Amino acid sequence: MNRGTLPILARLHSLQTATRILPGGGRVISEATDRNPVAQLLRVANETMLARSLRFVSSAGPSLTLDVAGRRILRVTDAQGLVDAEICLGAEVLEDEHKDELIKLFQGVAALRHELHVVSGPVGRGGEEVSVGLPVALLADLLLIELNVTEPDEDPVEIVEEVAPPTAEEIAAGETGLSGFAAAMGPALVAWLIAGGAEDGRTDGPEEMVSHLQGFLDDERDALERQFDILSATPGEAICMILGATLVEGHSIVGARLGPAILLGVIEGDATTATLAAWKAALR
Amino acid sequence: MGVTESLGTVVKAFPQARLVAFADLSSRMILASTGPQSTTQEYLDRLCDQARTSFDDPLFALSVEAFGEPNASVIMGPDTVRIFLRSDVEPADALCCICDHGIDLPAFVAKIRSTLESITHAG
Repeated sequence: MNRGTLPILARLHSLQTATRILPGGGRVISEATDRNPVAQLLRVANETMLARSLRFVSSAGPSLTLDVAGRRILRVTDAQGLVDAEICLGAEVLEDEHKDELIKLFQGVAALRHELHVVSGPVGRGGEEVSVGLPVALLADLLLIELNVTEPDEDPVEIVEEVAPPTAEEIAAGETGLSGFAAAMGPALVAWLIAGGAEDGRTDGPEEMVSHLQGFLDDERDALERQFDILSATPGEAICMILGATLVEGHSIVGARLGPAILLGVIEGDATTATLAAWKAALR
Repeated sequence: MGVTESLGTVVKAFPQARLVAFADLSSRMILASTGPQSTTQEYLDRLCDQARTSFDDPLFALSVEAFGEPNASVIMGPDTVRIFLRSDVEPADALCCICDHGIDLPAFVAKIRSTLESITHAG
């Protein structure tokens, strides 16, 4: 197929796709089952040739407002419920140095398993003056996103897989959440504690080891959250990290985050065998 | 066997491996990669940065304090598993891998350990 026809076919496909309009004039661009809401956000931005303000709102709460023109993101004019938005908000025109922070904002507002809406309006500050901004195509390349989609996207995600903090009943049963992870790890997890969330204060193992872990977490919790965020696709995402000399012998450290809860523990011996099944138990 | 060929044997043996890359952590560079997952240079750069972050504080410090310097990390998210392995003899040499949750983790870790050793010793 001629590459030049791809944007035309993509636009036709977009026009043929059923649109759900919301009260107040917004429209749903990504359903909760969509595997890649960020891709939908970028495709909407890429369809905007004339200068417009696009306000993206997640059903989870955060929102992000962009000035867009000529398939470029000119600037960020508002961000609600998104961390570290100040860098982009403070830029009159987005430049290459802002792309990583901008992508984090995209990932924050276009969260998996939540609807994403867009509301279009007159361009914000700066009027319709010509600005350079960041090309949508560049951001799409960084995220390995194909902007010109001429066929329906891949299979939808299953909503039942949503990662949510466990209920009190599930915690009591020890079947899910970080307690479920600890239970599924079995005796290899020789000491652990959970801080935060509904499972806060749960511990097991020798008191001396648990006390050491507790002291570390008291001092380093913020730094640990930052380390998890750097290693996650989106800030606050569920993550489990195991660090060891070999992972198969000796001891390893395990840190995990699920919602507001953090587990810190010590694994003795083989840290590879039960780990994946245990993590699936936590996400269940 | 060259580096790319060595990485290719890992992907061939483990279809759940989406990407296997050989990195120089000291220069923050992915030197070779293979696998079915399409990538850009920026994506590989980020993967290399994540490998460095996984061997950084605060969890690195906790591990060193408790058991000694770690050379392996496994990071599980909602959709994928990333495995970062550093060479025992040349800590800047590392393998960075992205796999599906269905990967046989014990067998995979053993395979990439031997692969990394062969690459490091050959270099």
